[in-house]
Amino acid sequence: MTRANDTAVVIRGVTKTFGAHTAVNDLNLTVPRGTVYGFIGPNGSGKTTTLRMIMRILHPDSGELEVLGRRTMRAANDRVGYLPEERGLYKSMTVRNVLQFYAELKGVRRARPAIDEWLERMGLAEWAGKKVQALSKGMAQKVQFIAAVVSKPDLVLLDEPFSGLDPVNLETLREAVLDLRRGGATVIFSTHDMNVAERMCDSIFMIYRGKKVLDGTLESIQAAYGSDTVRVRLDSNGGVPGSMPGVLKLTDFGRYQELRLADGVDSQAVLAALMARGRVSHFELARPSLHDIFVRIAAPETVETAGNNHA
Amino acid sequence: MHKAFVIAVREYNAAVRTKAFLISLVVFPVLIGGSVGLQLLLKDKVDTAEKRFAVIDRTPGEKLVEKLAVAAQARNTTEIFDRPGGKQIKPAFTVERVASGDERREAVDQQRFDLSERVRDGDLFGFLEIGSGVVELAGLPPDAADAANDDDAPPGPSPKDRFLMRYQSNSPTFDAFQRWAEKVVNEAAKESRYAAAGLPADKVKAAVRPVPLMTKGLTRRNTATGRFDEARDENPIASMLVPGGLLMLMFMLILIGSTPLMQGVVEEKMQRIAEVLLGSVRPFDLMLGKLLGLVGVSVTLAAVYLSGAYWAARHYGYAEFVSVEVLSWFLVYLVLGVLMYGSLFVAVGAACTDLRETQAMLWPVMLLAMVPMFVWMNVVREPNSVFSTVASYVPTATPMLMLVRVAVPPGIAWWQPVVGMVGVLAATLACVYAAGRIFRVGLLMQGKAATPRELLRWVFEA
Repeated sequence: MTRANDTAVVIRGVTKTFGAHTAVNDLNLTVPRGTVYGFIGPNGSGKTTTLRMIMRILHPDSGELEVLGRRTMRAANDRVGYLPEERGLYKSMTVRNVLQFYAELKGVRRARPAIDEWLERMGLAEWAGKKVQALSKGMAQKVQFIAAVVSKPDLVLLDEPFSGLDPVNLETLREAVLDLRRGGATVIFSTHDMNVAERMCDSIFMIYRGKKVLDGTLESIQAAYGSDTVRVRLDSNGGVPGSMPGVLKLTDFGRYQELRLADGVDSQAVLAALMARGRVSHFELARPSLHDIFVRIAAPETVETAGNNHA
Repeated sequence: MHKAFVIAVREYNAAVRTKAFLISLVVFPVLIGGSVGLQLLLKDKVDTAEKRFAVIDRTPGEKLVEKLAVAAQARNTTEIFDRPGGKQIKPAFTVERVASGDERREAVDQQRFDLSERVRDGDLFGFLEIGSGVVELAGLPPDAADAANDDDAPPGPSPKDRFLMRYQSNSPTFDAFQRWAEKVVNEAAKESRYAAAGLPADKVKAAVRPVPLMTKGLTRRNTATGRFDEARDENPIASMLVPGGLLMLMFMLILIGSTPLMQGVVEEKMQRIAEVLLGSVRPFDLMLGKLLGLVGVSVTLAAVYLSGAYWAARHYGYAEFVSVEVLSWFLVYLVLGVLMYGSLFVAVGAACTDLRETQAMLWPVMLLAMVPMFVWMNVVREPNSVFSTVASYVPTATPMLMLVRVAVPPGIAWWQPVVGMVGVLAATLACVYAAGRIFRVGLLMQGKAATPRELLRWVFEA
């Protein structure tokens, strides 16, 4: 097997600028086939630009992309399905016709059975003949999802597929994504929901201000950030004092408090110090959640990035 | 190419299978037919209330006003009805004789003022003065005529007034009375002059009767019988109507289809449909598909209108003006014109982010399309003048003006529309190419409309 057959996407040294703004800066990334890859990052950090470049809707200023083993700069690959961040459906067409149209654009000649199957599965069967403008936001999103996958693509790119969905719809869509992987497809999706990313992704990639800051499995990421967090609960006297030697940051969650330790500080020494102050009812060496890691990287400057919203 | 076809089919269906399309299909003929029909309908809907005119006859004996009164009487009993005993379709004129009285300037001015007051009060519609000299054989001496033309002449009766009729009214647009009175008084004045000169009226009339002119086409020899056929009557109105109608139709077809196409592009940008489409289709194929759909729509419309127009032309005997050659060129230029202007409209749509912005961006394109409408009358009158020939080779005008030149009898050399077609083809390719470049960049651009400078950069940069 050649290397090209093992990887769905290879990004090598890709940079993309819009005027003075560098959306993606010297990015390297390899997405293996058959995986679910999560793209996370604050708004305006370059997720959508990266997805659009994989989609060949945008061309990088420098560097190269290889998608499904091909390096040609041809847009509109029939083997790639795409759900853009902002939903785009013709309002005055019926659900079935718009899906038929998108399927034909992907080169699928007889899409009707697949469309009906997907509509059935998404609970939209009775909406097939209705116009798109009659759909609720969640329903339109599911229709858009069907449009992205109805051609049975080998690679599916989903930009914020779960935003704004109620829990039932979210579960339906989550199941569908995992089914795609079981069917052998590679799925890349971007999300702001760290829970979803933790539960679904084989690997997670975080981009921040156009640069890669995280890339790997959840375990490897947590391991890299994981040895410095301690969760404690103290009885009676109300909690951990505001400042303690060796503690960088204290977050009070109410039921427990989370301490981030400075490099090289022994957690046992911290425990001893706490026990000296009162009764410790809970002490846990915690692995930080993806949420914590995200906030740790992006929090100091989220205010700045929010003003520079170039998705 | 298959994808462009899929796009074209969707665009065609989206355009044709709508109520708006059916409405626009009907609206155009209704507008044209309606404006003609309404005018025909309103022709008889005139104010038939009696109109009163004061007449001052300064000729010796005041014979002219008598004749005018008699003529008015005759007119009121016959001419103002659409048929004897039928509906009244014109107002009756009542002539009120007013004595001429004092001819001194102040008196005349006073009299004119009094009559003007009566017009203002609604008692009279207008008043007419007949100069005392109009029945004389000798007219106004030339040097007096010059003096009389002096605008600075004081008010009151001038030497000129003696030799003319003077009509005063506050309704200058109602000219039926002037035209009628002028004719009656002139006839009567001529009779008086014949008598004064001692000429027999009937002989003079016979001597001065006008010579009518008849306009005909060219004589042909009938190949079957070998005889010469009678040349057909030339009808300048009809030979202008066909080129003008085809030009209007071409203009309408280009605009009817292109405007919704442009709105569609803006909508796709606003609804972010463009991004989904670009995930499946190359921008150029997408635009090509849209243009092909547009051509389909325009040809459909043209087929409907032209078959309707052809039927009407046959029905009213004008079929000979609509030749197969003209219709073929119409279709060729329609397809090219729609592609050329359609691509410009698409580019405008892609460069804007909402419909309001398109208004400002569209006017240069609209101006290009309108120019032929401003000059087509000149081209029809002189299809082979230097101006017409040059204008018809300007690619943005060729589809309309070359068509006019082809349609005006006797037509032009066969190679001229061919050369024009090559020019349009080149311009169309250039427009489609440039629009494709703008389309590619503009489709994903949000926020604000592109400046002309940005557009140029998109077109010429790699």
